[in-house]
Amino acid sequence: MQIKKALITAAGADQRKLAMQTLVDRDGNRKTVLEILIDEVRQAGIEEIAVIIHAGDRDVYKGLISMDQQIHFIEQDQPLGYGHAILCGLPFTGKDYFLHLVGDHLYVNKSDIPCAKHLVEIASQNNCSVSAVTPTRENLIPNYGTVGGKRVPRTKDLYVIDKVIEKPTPTLAEQKLIVPGLRTGHYLCFFGMHVLSPGLMQILKQNLEKSDGRKIGLSEALNQLATKEQYLALEKNDWRFDTGSRYGLLKAQLALALSGSDRDQVMAELLEFFVMKNMNSIGR
Amino acid sequence: MSTLINIICSSDPSIKNRSLDEFCNQASLGELLTATRELELYRKEETNLYNRVRALFFLYAIHRFYIPVKGKIGTEGIIPFEAYEHILNRRFEEAITLFLTVQDSKGANEGISSGLADAYHQLAFQTLADQVKLSVRSTAGNKWMFRVGHPLDQPLKINSALLRHDEQTGIYPCLHETTPVRMDLSHSGWSDIFFLGMDYPEGAKVLNISVNLCIRNPLKNTEPKPPIETWFRIIDEPVIRLTSIDLATSSDITSLPEVFDFAKDYLGLLKAALIASGIVPPGMEGAGLPLSALLDNMVGQGKGIEISSKVNNIPKGSRLAVSTNLLASLISLCMRATCQTEKLTGILNEEERRLVAAKAILGEWLAGSGGGWQDSGGVWPGMKLIKGVEAAVGDPEYGISKGRLLPQHTILDTDTVNQLTRKKLQDSLVMVHGGMAQDVGPVLEMVTEKYLLRSKNEWQARNNAIAYFEEVVQKLKNGDIKGIGDFTHKNFEGPIQDIIPWASNLYTETLINRITEEFKDKFWGFWMMGGMSGGGMGFIFDPAYKQKAQDRLQQLMSETKKKFEHAIPFAMEPVVYDFSINENGTIADLGTGLNALMPMEYYTLLLPGILKKDLLSLTECQRLELGIIGQAYKLDDQYSGFVNNLFDRMIPQERESNNRQKPLNKLLEELGFNPDQHEKIKKELKSGRIGLSKNRLPISTTIEDVSTSEISGQEVLEDQRLIDLGLNSLRNRELAIVSLAGGVGSRWTKGAGVVKSLNPFVKMDGRHRNFVEIHLAKTEKANLSYSTKLQHVFTTSYLTNPAISTFLDGTNGRPQKPEIHISEGKVIGLRLIPTERDLRFLWEEIPHQVLDEQSQKIQQSLHAALINWAKGAGEGEDYRDNLPEQCIHPVGHWYEIPNLILNGTLRKMIKDNPNLKHLLVHNIDTLGASADPALLGYHIDQQKSMTVEVITRKLDDRGGGLAKINGQMRLVEGLALPDDKIEFNLSYYNTNTFWINIDKLLASFGLTRDELSDIQKVESGVFKVASRMPTYVIIKDVKKRWGKGQEDVYPVTQFEKLWGDMTSLPELPCAYINVSRMRGQQLKDVAQLDGWSRDGSKEYIEGICDWD
Repeated sequence: MQIKKALITAAGADQRKLAMQTLVDRDGNRKTVLEILIDEVRQAGIEEIAVIIHAGDRDVYKGLISMDQQIHFIEQDQPLGYGHAILCGLPFTGKDYFLHLVGDHLYVNKSDIPCAKHLVEIASQNNCSVSAVTPTRENLIPNYGTVGGKRVPRTKDLYVIDKVIEKPTPTLAEQKLIVPGLRTGHYLCFFGMHVLSPGLMQILKQNLEKSDGRKIGLSEALNQLATKEQYLALEKNDWRFDTGSRYGLLKAQLALALSGSDRDQVMAELLEFFVMKNMNSIGR
Repeated sequence: MSTLINIICSSDPSIKNRSLDEFCNQASLGELLTATRELELYRKEETNLYNRVRALFFLYAIHRFYIPVKGKIGTEGIIPFEAYEHILNRRFEEAITLFLTVQDSKGANEGISSGLADAYHQLAFQTLADQVKLSVRSTAGNKWMFRVGHPLDQPLKINSALLRHDEQTGIYPCLHETTPVRMDLSHSGWSDIFFLGMDYPEGAKVLNISVNLCIRNPLKNTEPKPPIETWFRIIDEPVIRLTSIDLATSSDITSLPEVFDFAKDYLGLLKAALIASGIVPPGMEGAGLPLSALLDNMVGQGKGIEISSKVNNIPKGSRLAVSTNLLASLISLCMRATCQTEKLTGILNEEERRLVAAKAILGEWLAGSGGGWQDSGGVWPGMKLIKGVEAAVGDPEYGISKGRLLPQHTILDTDTVNQLTRKKLQDSLVMVHGGMAQDVGPVLEMVTEKYLLRSKNEWQARNNAIAYFEEVVQKLKNGDIKGIGDFTHKNFEGPIQDIIPWASNLYTETLINRITEEFKDKFWGFWMMGGMSGGGMGFIFDPAYKQKAQDRLQQLMSETKKKFEHAIPFAMEPVVYDFSINENGTIADLGTGLNALMPMEYYTLLLPGILKKDLLSLTECQRLELGIIGQAYKLDDQYSGFVNNLFDRMIPQERESNNRQKPLNKLLEELGFNPDQHEKIKKELKSGRIGLSKNRLPISTTIEDVSTSEISGQEVLEDQRLIDLGLNSLRNRELAIVSLAGGVGSRWTKGAGVVKSLNPFVKMDGRHRNFVEIHLAKTEKANLSYSTKLQHVFTTSYLTNPAISTFLDGTNGRPQKPEIHISEGKVIGLRLIPTERDLRFLWEEIPHQVLDEQSQKIQQSLHAALINWAKGAGEGEDYRDNLPEQCIHPVGHWYEIPNLILNGTLRKMIKDNPNLKHLLVHNIDTLGASADPALLGYHIDQQKSMTVEVITRKLDDRGGGLAKINGQMRLVEGLALPDDKIEFNLSYYNTNTFWINIDKLLASFGLTRDELSDIQKVESGVFKVASRMPTYVIIKDVKKRWGKGQEDVYPVTQFEKLWGDMTSLPELPCAYINVSRMRGQQLKDVAQLDGWSRDGSKEYIEGICDWD
């Protein structure tokens, strides 16, 4: 199986501006968040990318992104939820597996293998949907989609997912989402990056039909997917930054800068800042 | 493998279910001791929890019931104080090791066996409780809460719907939960005790129904409603406000430690719900961080949480699991508010209900209350079968216990039990609260113990109860309500009482008998609800007679209560309920805008406090809400009468306290209370000249034990010369019996203020009997056996005289006999509020049994609250805030003998029977004290003024004993011993049974029998001796009843002189004799009854009584 398509969502009311924010990437180049994500996707061997955007945002994006033939913008015409945003990409993904990233997250890998590339390789090898997950302390899980399941025998970082719950309380997580082998009080939470099968689109479609105009989510659909197909989780210990959170953009920028070519310069400037600040505080 | 270990380990039910009795009855002392050694080794190595516990119960039972009666066992023996201290501090293993070392070196004896029995018993229950605790903590959904230790780690957030102000009114919405209570239709032998369900899941099953209730009022058309209501809302103050509307208490919590202070006020259950639901997770106990940090994180800066509860008109002791369902309701409410349920409102799903139940068990453990696993049944809708479930892989109990902590609930739908049957059940059942509110804790311990010992009759009874359960379920499915009544009745008369005879009582049986007589075949059966009868009960009738039966039961209960209220502890006036089956279980709705107001009683309770505040200091929400209330009471029917109620709340308290004081002052006057003497004592207490620590003899006092050779033993009972001497004296009517019945027996009813001597506590010869009846039956037997006619005196006090006089006056079907006398006590004292110094001495200096970790915390919190109460109410001031009878006290049994002289009773007795020479004086609860010819012969032969009966000490025998004080042999009170260790060096315990030579006693008062009519001389003689007797300051518990069956227990100070100190008078020489335990045993606590009835003591007493 080859995965050649990627779908990035940036349509949410809170999300739409984040993908347009400008940062300096690891190589010292100014880029928007979306461009950095496109770089990540390209490294995974993806050839075609669709970005789901808020209705009316097309022109803004066209002005910001250096366009080529492989990037498509699809407007989400109605705010019917995250699941619906992905479903808007159905004409683009068709019957193919696709890589999916959220437009307000940035990823900084600790190892040499970019996260998306690793994920695509695993999905290709196993011929199934795979979500990147990261072990998360229980006090944070009410912020994320969380999965339950079991480790795939003889692997270190792969799990078979049997349950997905969006933003569970620890009470619920403890009952449904315990994963053997994880540290006490830790759960596998979504990293914001998935390889998804065409089966998911069918589930989303059905969910939308039954929704009576209510918003539909992705986690509920992934939970259904786990009962219908093999669905794996890949444990990643890389950094993921939610640019929409408090200081999220700043943290993402620092992580990029401190893991890139300008590391020494940024470190030196930060150090100088701290020293000056401390000296001022002691009256010198 | 030994027989007993084989029984424990076997998987074959025919072996596993064999009783301990079977082996022990046949075994010799040597075989029993060998068996205990083997069991001791086995239980230390056994990994299976329940096998270990069963071995512990076997060891307890062998030491408690079998070794002491095996003949050759030593009766003397000192209990090592160190081992006692280990027990007090819950170091049971260390205590056992020490006791066994003594047993190995000195041989088995009664004292050591009593210590071992106690240590094994407590260790067994501790092991079981630890396992339940572990299971509760390990339940998925509860575990995370123990890991959250910092407010910033709190993962729960408030549901956003609760955080949105209403646009029109500006106030926050209010989440409102209503919850039914549960009734148990089957009562299958208390099988919902956690320990039973976890060891014997196949035998743990109940049929449980959620019900709405209201107290029946024939004049009003009242509709049964879910009796529990709870509310949750956001407030604009950074506090947690907790309010119990029915208990009229509210508190603003501002710090984390306050949340964990359960006994500080009446809000313990609300605090437990906050913790068990995860709002303040248990892991935060002791975190030392401000509560505002937690609230900022969860609710938002400057905001707080308000939780309120209300139980509508169900008195305590209803046996309907009100407190567990209230806790469950609060937990469900808090879980909804913090997004732990799928939906904010409506009914819960099955998983959520199970989680609420698990958290309610956690909450009960935290708050120190207890219940069975069916008790949160009100969370589920309608009728359900609840059954124990075997633990499977993945359960925290798997590999530890056979069953799971949480049972399986199967809701019986209308296909299984149709609507007609449900209606028929409602039309047939009369539910009542009989008015008694008793602690069922001891009953549950007895059930567990009997289950694990598998005594033949009780095990058979349990199997019968299980069979009855299946029948009841089948009858319900068939719609046969009459058949259900038949089985619940048979269950009560059979298995329930076979397992625990104390589950029934004279009150309940009187009601059943009267109803059976009056309604004949229209009465279909009695139904015991919960742990024991007397409180919540059911009577099933032909539906055509239900209304008549409701009317009649109300009358009958009130009449019967009136008849027995001096003898049986009633907490309230009996009531009849109306009920309906609740088909929702717990359910919630969200009120917004004008519908977000709290009920009227809430405002009646809180407004007086708010109105005292400056308007500017009120929060914006409070101001808005006050404005809305100001309109609502004019327009909304729900709030009609609000202003009147508000005034009633603000003003009547003074009126009430004035009303109380009038009868107390009048009573004091009538009873000859001496205010000058009282003021003197108060002054001394306040100044610290007297107090608990000052009761003690000087530290320089030499206190030595008395050896076996220094006193007489039971060999005298076989001395024919002494027997003949006694028989001769009896025939000559030289003896009279004096039963000391002046005290109310505060330990017996935990300070309830009923007359212990009239408490019908045991069935003998087919009827419930009280202490007075048993003593009279013994005298009757002596009269018949020894051809005599003994005079029998009951000494009374102001508290006991009216009830005992009525009981003996011949109007109750009991013939009035001229030989029975009542000697009325005339001296009373007024109780005082204790000093902090004395309370601290009692609770912190004197060794006490340390409780289980959580219970200990609660006890410490309660002690702190009571010390604050004493300081606030005025240390050393008069205790007046209770019923008048609860404020005054008898001044010790010393006065009961001189009263015989002072009030002319002795003079009359001598006039009636000039042969009278001796008195046998005993406590009302020393049932074995009888006119034994050998002991009387011994007393006469010794020619001393007094012969004192003592027994060898067992672990529970606390309170002094026989000692040589500075070389003089005498009785010494425990209160007077300078060091607690000393008591454990004394081999003999005082039974408080005395044979008194009347003339010699009179001589010590400076009197002769001819001078008994000289009142002045008598008074002067008594006064002189009284002034030489020490006065002890003691602290007793007294119950204060309030609300609907609520009871608080307060410590109060009182003063007593005790008869045993007469043995210190040099002019009153005494002889001492060691008698058997069956003769000398005193019954101080109802928890002793089961052991007393099983160890042969009851049989012994029946043997010395004549009931004809």
